[in-house]
Amino acid sequence: MIEIQDLTVKYQSQTEIYTALECINLAIPDGGTCAVIGPSGCGKSTLLKVLAGIITDYEGEVRVDGQTINPKKQAIGFIPQNYGLLPWRTVDENIYLGMKIKQHQKTVDYAKLQVIRQQLGIEQLGKRYPGEISGGQQQRVSLARAFLLKPDLLLMDEPFSALDAITREEMQDVFLSIWEKYAVSTILVTHYVEEAIYLGQKIVILSPNPGRISRIIENPLFGGRNIRQKPEFFELGLSIRNLIKKDWSK
Amino acid sequence: MEKHKPVWFLLGIITFFALWWILSKIIMLPIVPSPFLVLVNLVAIFMKYIAIHSLYSLWRIAAGLFLAVLIGLPLGVIMGYFPKWDRFLSPLLYLTYPIPKIALMPILMLLFGIGEFSKILMIFLIIVFQVIVAIRDNIRSIPKETYYPLYSLGAPFSAVFFEVLWPASMPKFITAIRVAMATAISVLFFTETFGTQYGMGYFIMDAWLRVNYLEMYSGIVVLSLMGLFLFAFIDWIEKRLCHWQYK
Repeated sequence: MIEIQDLTVKYQSQTEIYTALECINLAIPDGGTCAVIGPSGCGKSTLLKVLAGIITDYEGEVRVDGQTINPKKQAIGFIPQNYGLLPWRTVDENIYLGMKIKQHQKTVDYAKLQVIRQQLGIEQLGKRYPGEISGGQQQRVSLARAFLLKPDLLLMDEPFSALDAITREEMQDVFLSIWEKYAVSTILVTHYVEEAIYLGQKIVILSPNPGRISRIIENPLFGGRNIRQKPEFFELGLSIRNLIKKDWSK
Repeated sequence: MEKHKPVWFLLGIITFFALWWILSKIIMLPIVPSPFLVLVNLVAIFMKYIAIHSLYSLWRIAAGLFLAVLIGLPLGVIMGYFPKWDRFLSPLLYLTYPIPKIALMPILMLLFGIGEFSKILMIFLIIVFQVIVAIRDNIRSIPKETYYPLYSLGAPFSAVFFEVLWPASMPKFITAIRVAMATAISVLFFTETFGTQYGMGYFIMDAWLRVNYLEMYSGIVVLSLMGLFLFAFIDWIEKRLCHWQYK
């Protein structure tokens, strides 16, 4: 269970204090997914950074399974927009980075590594460097790193936005299939309405200045197969779009 | 990497000697002897006279370089990663970096004698600043996002160092060593002209004073080959440690 209570984050710029997030309240059940959607500058990334333990200066409560969030205690997988792969490490070393740091495993468990590589279709890439592989492949590597750790919480910052439309849909399916196997609580940030509907059990709409939750939608379509082609998918997309237009123009 | 095949090194050496030979033909004076005479002389006296001097010089460079890395690397990392330390140490660095280190030579000699230590210290002083600045600037230029996956894993500083700071600053660090190396060799020459009877600087100056131009040029060729060897060695290390950047 991920609980966020009255979360407020303020930035101190040189002349003024700027409120990035105000009174965020949100609960995500174990093994659930939540898609956060909002315009640029609404504090989406700030929210993820708080959950990832990168921003520690905040007001309110953020708890994972009843414990205050702390990256040293919980296992948190964080996939930044640029996938966060280290260019000087091979694909295998990148995948294993989480295990190495989190569980102090010096020797690589090749059986586990092989399983996760197979699940993500990157068996052939182990010895390559991130600079040598495509964006979609880098995305798979970063997912492999996150899921190998079996994290308490997985955070993804616009994970598929840098990919072309076809690869993006493919990667969304890759994500869903591996997420079903590992049942990891996931929060992802996106600015695509369709992505939010496809990947989020809950859809959270943020409004800007300061970042606030304007609506939480329980997504009835989540988990259905081939929902992208169904008329309900378009209808929900349209209604969320209208909601957003109203909210963001305030 | 095609461009560093030995054959290219050989071509460079041949071109160098060809230019020298043409120059000697134009000038036609004993102060610019033909490279062939010098090479014959070099082969004849290398093992007997020069080898020991070149070993001394190499040792001094290696020791100075080692000290510079030992001190410069941690300082550069601290200044690059912790802005508070940088605020304090940068003015110190900027005040001391422009001091011509060679001007400190007499002081070093008074304080530490005219033996090995003051020579190694001199080389250290020349190289260490370039190492600090290169590493500091490089670490500063690492995008913040690079650290995020490590922070979210609760990584301790040691992991941040070995996973990000060290590998990320390696290419610039090696470039700094490369730039500093040429200066170090020139300074080495200067420091070896007094207070020692060993080293390439001593050998060349001694030959010059004895008006033995062939020996003098032999010494210069050895010094230049030492440089070639050191640069090739650095290239080799870079290839081993930074091969990810060529992908």
